[in-house]
Amino acid sequence: MVFPGSPPVIALQDISLTIRDKEFLAIVGPSGCGKSTLLRLVAGLLQPTEGEIVVHSKHPSQAQRDVEFGFVFQDAVLFPWLTALQNVILPVEILGKRSPLPVQEVEGVARQLLADVRLHGFEAHYPEQLSGGMRQRVSLARALVYQPSTLLMDEPFGALDEITRDSLNLLLLEVWEKNRATVIFVTHSISEALFLADRVVVLSPRPGRITTIVDVPLSRPRTFDMRFLPEFTFLAAELRKLLQLPAEVYES
Amino acid sequence: MVRKNARQAASPLTEWLPALILFLSTLILWEGLVRGLDVPRYILPSPSEIGAVITQRWQDLVRQVAWTMLEAIGGFLLGSILAFLSASLFVHARLIERSMYPWAIVLQTVPIVAIAPLLTIWLGFGTAPKVVIAAIVCFFPVLVNTTRGLRLVSAQALELMQILSASRWQLYIRLRVPSAMPFLFTSLKVAASLSVIGAIVGEFTGADRGIGYVVVSAAYRLDTPLLFAGIVFSSFAAVIFFLLISGIERILLFWPGARIED
Repeated sequence: MVFPGSPPVIALQDISLTIRDKEFLAIVGPSGCGKSTLLRLVAGLLQPTEGEIVVHSKHPSQAQRDVEFGFVFQDAVLFPWLTALQNVILPVEILGKRSPLPVQEVEGVARQLLADVRLHGFEAHYPEQLSGGMRQRVSLARALVYQPSTLLMDEPFGALDEITRDSLNLLLLEVWEKNRATVIFVTHSISEALFLADRVVVLSPRPGRITTIVDVPLSRPRTFDMRFLPEFTFLAAELRKLLQLPAEVYES
Repeated sequence: MVRKNARQAASPLTEWLPALILFLSTLILWEGLVRGLDVPRYILPSPSEIGAVITQRWQDLVRQVAWTMLEAIGGFLLGSILAFLSASLFVHARLIERSMYPWAIVLQTVPIVAIAPLLTIWLGFGTAPKVVIAAIVCFFPVLVNTTRGLRLVSAQALELMQILSASRWQLYIRLRVPSAMPFLFTSLKVAASLSVIGAIVGEFTGADRGIGYVVVSAAYRLDTPLLFAGIVFSSFAAVIFFLLISGIERILLFWPGARIED
């Protein structure tokens, strides 16, 4: 993937990756390595300069039209003029006839999702009245409301404090067990990636290449204590070494 | 979390009392100076003389100012609606924006007082030129602000709509228009005051009614108390118009954090 400009920026190079159905895949890498670009290529938001992406034997833009994707952004991107509940309902209203979920059923599903992300009682609150973590939970519920087959998450908890992030990680897994979708989760936190994912893809600094793919040997459901298991700390240390950047890369 | 008011809300009385006291003491000082120094009436009438003119002629003054406000509101609606439609066109077609926007700026830089007589020649001495002048002065601020508001949508919000394969119309009506509302109302409040000025300028260049006409003819006759009464009534009407728009804003921008503080 090359972004035009002078000089043109090579964001990603030689990426070959097969994502398994219903797996939780995390992508880690230093900032600017093209993690988010990769996610946007899968979603059909960007077109690759070279190569091909296939989503369920379809072109990404076709998969996008078939509403295969739910996207959780770095910011919650809630509409401030809509309540939490209205924000969750919004995608189904926009999809209209294309929505896999009938419009009559959406309110019940949305209320259930908000309860799942522990926001029962906050349905009528406006985004301005919610904390950052709560907004991100609304945005997760919004991404799941039309039951997409693939959930794309772009550093969704990156802007939150560590305590909130830990609890949201557990909550995300809980919600994921209920609504099994294929998840591609982009993060720059090694421990977050290991804690959440079945497999972790490590990207090198720009131009992003796949350094390695790690299978996470932890059973599900994951518990918070697993972070202190020897295999977890060992893997985390290995990945940290792989992501160790030579000083000159920092300079550029 | 519901945000608490940072500042304890003052009661209306303590909020307004200092301004009211300043106003009253200015009036008293003014009255005393005019009487004490024997200032000629045609230079500066005392507040009591102005008050006498107002109580004597208030019915006629209300009728005149109502006429002016009708012209102002007509121009305000015409100018604002045209500006909103143009801004909507701009965000959908860059080419239209590139061809029209520079001319909108040119229109803005031409002094309205210079165009007013021309419009009077073209459209006569009736209501039409006043409405058009008011519309012209309203057009530009609303155009600029609305265009900015319609554009100021985050890249991620656009991607969200793209993920949902939203149509251009859905993107416009569900995302752009609500995002632009705070900007629109900020400019409408400016336009409300400008439209009254526009209508009065129109009346200066030729009219047989309206508060602008009252002011001009009072000035010819050196009837300064009546002139002051005209100023009082037109300011009062402009303030009411502004408050009306603020009230509508309060209703339409109901969500927390919507209003751009002024």
